[in-house]
Amino acid sequence: MTVEELGQIPPLGGSFVRGASGSGVAAARRVLPGSDAPQTTTLPDTTLRVAEVSTSGDDVARRLAEYERLVGERPSETMPAGFLHVLGFPLATALMVRPEFPLPLLGMVHVENHVSLFRPVELGESVTVTARAEGLRGHRRGTQVDLVTDVTVVGDDSPAYTGVSTYLAKGVHIAPAPEETERPEFVPPLPTARWRLDARVGKAYATVSGDRNPIHVSVLGAKAFGFPRTIAHGMYTAARALAQVGPARGDAYDWDVQFARPVVLPGVVDVSVRPGTDGVWSITGWNARKRLLHLNGSVTPR
Amino acid sequence: MATSKNQTTPPAAEAVIVGGNRIPFARAGGKYSSASNQEMFTAALEGLVARYGLQGERIGEVVGGAVLKHARDFNLVRESVLGSSLSSQTPAYDLQQACATGLEAVVTISNKIKLGQVESGIAGGTDTVSDAPIAVSEGLRRALLAAGHAKTLGARLKAFAAIRPADIAPLTPSTDEPRTGMSMGEHQAVTTATWGITREAQDEIALASHQHLAAAWDSGFFDDLVTPFRGLTRDQNLRGDSTMEKLAGLKPVFGKNLEGTEPTMTAGNSTPLTDGASAVLLASREWAAERNLPVLAKVVDAETAAVDYVHGHEGLLMAPAHAVARLLTRQELTLQDFDFYEIHEAFASTVLTTLAAWEDADYCRTELGLDAPLGSIDRERLNVNGSSVAAGHPFAATGGRIVATAAKLVAERAAETGRPARALISVCAAGGLGVAAIIESAADGSVSTGSTSATGSTSATGSVSTGSTSATSTTGTEA
Amino acid sequence: MADSYLKAVNSGVTKTLAKKLGLPRPAVLRRWAPGQPLTTGPVLVVGGRPGVEDDADRVAAALLGWDLDVRQVPAGSTPDPALRWGAIVAVMTEAQKPTDLSETVLAIGANLRNLAGNGRVVTISRATVAGDAPALSATRNGVDGFLRSLAKELRGGATGNGIQLTEAAQVGDPSVLAALHFFLSSKSAFVDGQLLKVGDGPSWDATDFDWTRPLAGRVAVVTGAARGIGADVARTLSRDGAHVVVVDVPAAGDSLARVANEVGGTALQLDVTAPDAGARILEHARARHGGLHVLVHNAGILRDKLLANMKPEKWDAVIAVNLDAQLRINEYLLGANGFSENPHIVSLASTSGIAGNRGQTNYGFSKAGVIGHTRATAPLIAAVGGTANAVAPGFIETDMTASIPAIARQVARRASSLQQGGQPIDVAEAIAFLASPGSTGVNGQVLRVCGQNLVGQ
Repeated sequence: MTVEELGQIPPLGGSFVRGASGSGVAAARRVLPGSDAPQTTTLPDTTLRVAEVSTSGDDVARRLAEYERLVGERPSETMPAGFLHVLGFPLATALMVRPEFPLPLLGMVHVENHVSLFRPVELGESVTVTARAEGLRGHRRGTQVDLVTDVTVVGDDSPAYTGVSTYLAKGVHIAPAPEETERPEFVPPLPTARWRLDARVGKAYATVSGDRNPIHVSVLGAKAFGFPRTIAHGMYTAARALAQVGPARGDAYDWDVQFARPVVLPGVVDVSVRPGTDGVWSITGWNARKRLLHLNGSVTPR
Repeated sequence: MATSKNQTTPPAAEAVIVGGNRIPFARAGGKYSSASNQEMFTAALEGLVARYGLQGERIGEVVGGAVLKHARDFNLVRESVLGSSLSSQTPAYDLQQACATGLEAVVTISNKIKLGQVESGIAGGTDTVSDAPIAVSEGLRRALLAAGHAKTLGARLKAFAAIRPADIAPLTPSTDEPRTGMSMGEHQAVTTATWGITREAQDEIALASHQHLAAAWDSGFFDDLVTPFRGLTRDQNLRGDSTMEKLAGLKPVFGKNLEGTEPTMTAGNSTPLTDGASAVLLASREWAAERNLPVLAKVVDAETAAVDYVHGHEGLLMAPAHAVARLLTRQELTLQDFDFYEIHEAFASTVLTTLAAWEDADYCRTELGLDAPLGSIDRERLNVNGSSVAAGHPFAATGGRIVATAAKLVAERAAETGRPARALISVCAAGGLGVAAIIESAADGSVSTGSTSATGSTSATGSVSTGSTSATSTTGTEA
Repeated sequence: MADSYLKAVNSGVTKTLAKKLGLPRPAVLRRWAPGQPLTTGPVLVVGGRPGVEDDADRVAAALLGWDLDVRQVPAGSTPDPALRWGAIVAVMTEAQKPTDLSETVLAIGANLRNLAGNGRVVTISRATVAGDAPALSATRNGVDGFLRSLAKELRGGATGNGIQLTEAAQVGDPSVLAALHFFLSSKSAFVDGQLLKVGDGPSWDATDFDWTRPLAGRVAVVTGAARGIGADVARTLSRDGAHVVVVDVPAAGDSLARVANEVGGTALQLDVTAPDAGARILEHARARHGGLHVLVHNAGILRDKLLANMKPEKWDAVIAVNLDAQLRINEYLLGANGFSENPHIVSLASTSGIAGNRGQTNYGFSKAGVIGHTRATAPLIAAVGGTANAVAPGFIETDMTASIPAIARQVARRASSLQQGGQPIDVAEAIAFLASPGSTGVNGQVLRVCGQNLVGQ
């Protein structure tokens, strides 16, 4: 794998423009019936790397404060894992909008996210951020890929943070789908909390995270991808759940989430965030009226 | 106040309850819809002053508060004092502990009296949902603040430009728990489901609350506890003619989508949103005697508890179960050692889940750290003159209502029987908080209490004045 | 309550107009204010015989003791036209036959034009008693008709009232002087054409008596004190130095609290018809104030209806509150020896109880009943050194009379010698007088506060 050094974290705005045009062409080329076989069915063998990203600027501090307020984290200069995800997200996106990337960016659905936070990262520490793509694989409804982001504090030997975000490109079949496994029926637990998410949540998280995917910020955009209205960022709901665990998660933890169904905005999500006897916190978010699971996962103190 | 140490250390001064006053509680948007917290609390104070002739009196301290409070009411209690007939030299401060505000104020005052820091105090609270503060949205608020801080016209315009149409909508106050986003009713619905409390049991509590409160009003029990306000002479929510059938006909409002349980909590067995205010006069025995004031009861001890409800480990309103357990242990009392139980009916099911918890051996062992369950209580002694489901619950005003009611109850009982009487008070509160207190009749031979006969008061004196240890043993077995 | 007619005929253009038209011109009555002199001018004492130390001299001496400018003038003298008498006191106690009084009444007449506005004429005579010789009885009773007629001739807010000494009472008795003090003062502004019987009563030491705080150290209970007359009674008794317990039904508790806080008293929310009302009043007064000296039965209700249409509840409610409650409370307090030393009961009667009123059979019964029990209670309470008296208000400007239709209200106002309605304070002043230690010689009496209303006595 080659490492490609970038001078700075690329701005996201440009990525989305490129992603939108590129993915349109790519999708037409690769997916439409009768079109040519896809040009690419392998992932780019490239790791994007930005060294010594400063987090000491006022803009980062302001953004962290906004983030903490939005997802319900207590005010702190230690960056929650979700904020590190936000820091690395543009780099992962930059990889996905490259012409050689086999899947279209737009319309891609975030289905899982696994994070390990090995040590706390404080505001002001310089970090090196890398992003690579792995695990292109078939799925019943399309193709999945893992975007792996590492954040390493300058001077450390190993990453402070490793995030694996699994995306699904629906309807793109470039790898064989595995056997369908039966999913157990969802039985809601008793709630410990309830989120009333108003329509502005999508835009608010988009502002903080830079993820301005139209399905989150524009009703028309959402409709274009088959949603009745905008939907909440999966990572926003996951970040709220992580915040809900509170200080009990400790300085270092694993944070694993599966996104089952998107939360259409505005919406009410019943939530259960409870510690298990083994110290692992379970996270569940669902629509109580329709008895539908939105997300589940866990937080495991390290 | 460890009882075993009472022999070696001089007993602290007593804090006695002289009496109380409240205004009738009004339903939200009812008779007090134009009354502010300050007006209501001032009215409660004025009634108290009139009842006990405290005009121009410099009270040691007035402590109270409101849960829903305007920013302008930062000094609500002091402002109320200044608008009252008390001496303007009476100090005051605001205290807030959600629904336990009133009881916590009583505890605070009584502690200061016992410490000798003050000789008298008034504890109370007030709340209005009809005149509740309405805030601007977070977006508008930030924009306005930014504009206020802006130094140039351009910066100010830029700040205003950040306002979005959706920001204009005001924020009405919410009773949702900030940390969970669930309303108190939804929280209690989970607790109710966990403990398997039935709809019928809740309706029975609700019905008893209305019947008891109506009977107390009819018998004149509140003649010296309540002063009318704005044309309201009785609690507006009271329905003395309620029946099980009527209650059974109401639709559930909480816990409608809880897996595996039928919803049981209705508007009938839950507390309605209410406006009102209350105040309790506490003093040292000497201060009361110097002013020829009656002494209804003394504050024996109190305990505050909190539970971790955020992650579902405990029910939001279960803290009183913990507070009472610790209080009983410290006072070396059993749950059965009481003549009266005043358990605040945030919901009928709050009372039932609390009682169920005390009866549950497993819960008492794992959660309360007790070897044996606290056991059950004689339900005939529970909320005998009604509670919040019937009277309503203007959050901070409830503690004062309960303490004054309980104080009069124990005073009357002691006068009837010639023996000390004791009441257990528990109030649950938002934020997983709970306050419990024990009060005991404290009639002194020289000052008769209420309508009690001189004989009753005199014979009660001996056993009461010997302190909590001996009083415990005398009443502990009388049930 | 505002009497706009009274205001109009006493000010500006409307005053001139009313004068020309010969309309009734009620005066603005002088009412008590702190520091006010007892009378508006010098006091003329008539009825004395030169060279003899008689009752007139004794009265004059007492008046001098109150720092008044007191004068006695020779018979037949004409007063200086510029002179304005604050009061004329006619001493008639020693008259044995009608002709004995000619000189005295003519002396009054000669000075009437010199009587100041809001001036006072007070006669002091003796009441008829069984065994009086016919001529003596005629003389004493004649004063009655004379005084009432004279009162109707007085103008400008002046009043005429009489003190009738009974039995062994002497003009120098403190009780007689207290009554004289009351009638001379502005506190009796709306008392007119009344004769008050004053006996010797229990002894009362008037030496060093503080006339500004006659009720100092006394504990007074006022029922129906949340508003109207009762509230003013509480204020007046408090002004006079009493510790006041204000009582009213729990439903009136907010107004009651305001009154209690205004007068620095205590509020007792109590329905006087409750079976234990007497016990609770006594309990409260004793426990909180150390005793019970004055009880003012003011609580009363109106449920007007022609008898033909009278519903049981309307009749019964009025009797229960206005009469039965008073009876029951008195019975309890007297039976339980509940009163402290020298107690005074003052009950609210009404001119309706004296003269009757259409539509008020229930009210009239209750108020006449009050007069009845007052007379009967008098000897019982005298046994413990106290008094029981009633005050009968006429047309008083209150919330209650404000509900009378406008024309009827105007007629009622003018139908008295003072040509106006009284104020609650006027009733309160009369009650305060009857509650004061000075009134110990007044017992079983009904004092009307009616501006000499045309109806009844």
